Amino acid sequence: MTEVMERTLASLPMFMKGELGGPFGVSRGFQTLIKAIGESQSKHEEERIMKKEVSYLQQKLTQPDISNKHMKELLVRLVYCNMLGHDITFGYIHALKLAQQGGLVEKRVGYLAVSLFLHEDHELIMLLINTIQKDLKSTNILHVCMGLTAVCALISTEMIPALLPMVEDKLQHPKEVVRKKAIMALHRFYLKAPNMVQHIHEKFRKVLCDRDPGVMGASLNIFYDLIKEDVEKHRDLTNTFACIMKQVIGGKLTNDFTYHSVPAPWIQVQLLRILGMLGAGHKKNSEQMYAVLDETLDKSEINHNIGYAVLYECVRTVTAIHPNPALLEKAAERIGRFLRSHSNNLRYLGITALTSMLPVLPGVAGEHQLVVIECLDDPDETLQRKTLDLLYRMTGPTNVTVICDRLISHLSTTADTYLQSDLVTKITQLAERYPS
Amino acid sequence: MSPKFTRKGNNGQNYPVCYGEHVLGGGVIRLWCRHQNLCTPRWIVGNYYISIDVRGSTQQVVKMMKFMLLFSRQGKVRLQQWYSATQEKEKKKIMRELITIILARKPKMCSFLEWKEYKIVYKRYASLYFCCAIEKGDNELLTLEIIHRYVELLDKYFGSVCELDIIFNFEKAYFILDELMLGGEIQETSKKNCLKAIAAQDLLQEEADATRNVLEEMGLP
Repeated sequence: MTEVMERTLASLPMFMKGELGGPFGVSRGFQTLIKAIGESQSKHEEERIMKKEVSYLQQKLTQPDISNKHMKELLVRLVYCNMLGHDITFGYIHALKLAQQGGLVEKRVGYLAVSLFLHEDHELIMLLINTIQKDLKSTNILHVCMGLTAVCALISTEMIPALLPMVEDKLQHPKEVVRKKAIMALHRFYLKAPNMVQHIHEKFRKVLCDRDPGVMGASLNIFYDLIKEDVEKHRDLTNTFACIMKQVIGGKLTNDFTYHSVPAPWIQVQLLRILGMLGAGHKKNSEQMYAVLDETLDKSEINHNIGYAVLYECVRTVTAIHPNPALLEKAAERIGRFLRSHSNNLRYLGITALTSMLPVLPGVAGEHQLVVIECLDDPDETLQRKTLDLLYRMTGPTNVTVICDRLISHLSTTADTYLQSDLVTKITQLAERYPS
Repeated sequence: MSPKFTRKGNNGQNYPVCYGEHVLGGGVIRLWCRHQNLCTPRWIVGNYYISIDVRGSTQQVVKMMKFMLLFSRQGKVRLQQWYSATQEKEKKKIMRELITIILARKPKMCSFLEWKEYKIVYKRYASLYFCCAIEKGDNELLTLEIIHRYVELLDKYFGSVCELDIIFNFEKAYFILDELMLGGEIQETSKKNCLKAIAAQDLLQEEADATRNVLEEMGLP
């Protein structure tokens, strides 16, 4: 079966070009539309073409007998019009119908159109429940996947009771892609109505130990929110998470998950965030993770952005948990690497990391003073803003006047109202704190 | 407890107004100072008022990504995926403002910017800008890499992708995005698994089409 997959994957571009005729495999009408828009000379002409298209589609859709295939093409054009900002409310009901009645291909486009046109509070969503229920019960895996995807995009609190048992059921499905989508759907349910998913927390723990790393990775999302809500209940999982982290850095996951020679970076970052929450203010938990954090700091590859991303998250975690001087020293040294780089992105992150380190290691900013001053004078506004924030937090009785001067001078040069109000708040707070 | 909102009284002193709020179930509970005039229904507990605001069914769902936009250098939107319920007018406004801001930024500047209550991460690939809005506390560099992962997937799928591919086959771009992110959260980080899932759907699509063509030729519906 996998051989067939590989061959299909290889010949996919060819397939697409051959489908439905036309060089890009799209319908004639759509092609002409795009060509016309591309060649239009003025905004006026483009408006005229789009209006014509919308009225053409409106007229076509009112005709009684449209085949599903034709309806799919019309819907694709409708989505395009919607993307360009035109009103196509008349098409909503047709999208719903196609999601319900279409075969595999049309159903996919129907669901896509519905998730783009509607949102969870729309009154037409109720009509979708039946369709989704049918798809979730279907034996065709792709139908189930489509149903779960639609659930994630469009579910509202009232619809949850109707769909919860079926989605829960899918957690035990033999196919990992279904289990993965099911856990993500349950995460959405949890975010919308936490009380309705109280009873299945045990099942989430089982998913964490799933044999497929993709499913395990997807379950980390929901654990992040569960732990954010209630740390105490999940303290016992600290060791589990630390173990998983150790395995990931040790390269135990398959090569698929490696991204630019960093093993499963997104999973690493999720785990780091979770560990950060579990260790905050709790000595025993923090001790369980010192070893693995140390290893992460050592192993991080720093020749690519993603290595920096993991390093940044690790530094954040180290500052959040119960302080360990050796780790903090190491983290401070790593921040130096960020600040010394030439990329503005990395310097931005370096400044942010410094800001988060200040409460735990107050002397750290002093070491990197020069770089901080450089960043302040950088023409990039984002960098300036972050450095100002750092300065504000570094204020002590000795440097308050200097820093206030800087803030005020910046206030007079900026035109952004949000930044202005932010700066004013900061300056007034400093003035209150150091009234001389 | 330090007050969340304060107002200035007549004598210049600061009076606390609201001490805090908590989102719970379908609404928001707020703790008010007793001297505050409230028109909303409230309970009196000692020196405090407790009020409950029932919001509409739209709750503040805190997700990693709020939306993802793809637009050309002329400001034409090529793909928009919203992960939270927003009104059409609001969407248009956000898109218009954001596109103007990003197009005005110079190449050497940061890929991150703070705009209103969002943090925006963007990157330009050839003629297309990929732009995401994330939570304030999120890892920006990671989001940049998610964008890069998405571009890698598109590249593998379309075979050396260009803007035209995305214009003509935008629904396929949406399907690929749906395999990478679901509901604003990262779904699958393995490139192979994502592409496998999409290939499976396409393969069955091919079979369905082939069967349908055969049936049409035979004159059956």
